[in-house]
Amino acid sequence: MNTPRDPSPDDNGALPPSDDVRAAEYVAGLLNTEERHKAQVRIARDRPFAQRVDDWERRFAPWLVQAPPEQPSPHVWPRIRSRLGWDAAQPVPRTLWDNARFWRGMAGLAAAAGLAAVAVLVARTPAPVPPVAEEQAAKPVTVLAREGGATGWIARIDATQGKVLMVPVPTPADPSGRVHELWIIPAGGAPQSLGFLSNEKAHTIEVPPALRAIVASGATLAVTLEEQAGIPHRAPNGPVVASGNIQSI
Amino acid sequence: MQAIAQEEGVVDGPEQAWLRRVADGDRAAFEQLYQATAARLLGVCLRVLPDRAEAEDVLQDVYVAVWRKAPQFSPEKSSAMTWLAAIARHRAIDRLRATPALASRQTIELAELESDPEATPGARAEADSERSQLDRCLGQLDARRRTLIRTAFFEGATYEDLAQRTGSPLGSIKSWIRRGLLQLRACLES
Repeated sequence: MNTPRDPSPDDNGALPPSDDVRAAEYVAGLLNTEERHKAQVRIARDRPFAQRVDDWERRFAPWLVQAPPEQPSPHVWPRIRSRLGWDAAQPVPRTLWDNARFWRGMAGLAAAAGLAAVAVLVARTPAPVPPVAEEQAAKPVTVLAREGGATGWIARIDATQGKVLMVPVPTPADPSGRVHELWIIPAGGAPQSLGFLSNEKAHTIEVPPALRAIVASGATLAVTLEEQAGIPHRAPNGPVVASGNIQSI
Repeated sequence: MQAIAQEEGVVDGPEQAWLRRVADGDRAAFEQLYQATAARLLGVCLRVLPDRAEAEDVLQDVYVAVWRKAPQFSPEKSSAMTWLAAIARHRAIDRLRATPALASRQTIELAELESDPEATPGARAEADSERSQLDRCLGQLDARRRTLIRTAFFEGATYEDLAQRTGSPLGSIKSWIRRGLLQLRACLES
């Protein structure tokens, strides 16, 4: 695939655009709309090519940060919030739910008081995540306990929709930069990744259709610390930080 | 891989820690990241898109993308600022391609080789060591290749744009630039 896309008769001495030259051309901003689009598709699918692009980004990095700074207009930030589905009218995000320090402070309390404290906390948490309060009220949950028994996460599994709502008892990020990954382990089977798991925020994880059948009673949900790159991994590599057996759904 | 080490040393700031928290869905960290980096990223967008309204519009795309892509950031591959600036620059180029009227038509005089006004801008002091290496290597290219590569990078100009703006055949432009890029790589890795 290294042949020139547009060999011109007067292209005497032109080197064929090898993958590396193509990557450089992409980074340098030389590609026209169509070539650029093709390169972007390749970056998403072709790891070695994406690596070449990263290498060129690094080579050109000094020019990247050279542009003189220019303060954006005040309307930009509220519009970003609005596009993310947040409240645009509230320019400074300081709700209790958003405050990581509050959650970290609560983690100790929750660990001490156990699940009850977490349940109360979840039920009292206002607007931003109503599904937590509504759905958890009457449905079974799976507790993922840390070593020593403290609650790490609470999982609410919706088998019909193939969704798992994960509510953490927030903890500080891993100092070495690893992130949490959630695994489903069928009884007697190998762990299958359900992807990235937040240690600070409640979020819903979509179970890939191929894995839905094994997210069932008797299986285990486990959390490991993994390198961010490559999630979902094929197999866990890092330490297990919490796990829980699914009793009922 | 000296270049990588230097580049990472250059911009190792709080951005990396914020980005990691953003990856965990931390909105407060996202706002801190925005406040600390928005001016620099708008500067990056304006380089490619001098129209301020367009650039600010792209800046919104950039931060929406940063929020979504933060879990993909890996500090081993690049510094946080390089990663952010690359997103900004590529979004700006995408906008430029989608809106051809915004592209510069300014003639490039390849004969007038030695005066490259952008070669020595007063930029972030922290970038000095690495920039001098890139610029030193660029300085080893002949002036024609140097001008073309800089124009492509800073204006997001395509091969076709450059052929038109210099009045040179497309094939020659490609040939000059490709050779220049390979020379640049060889110099940066020597």
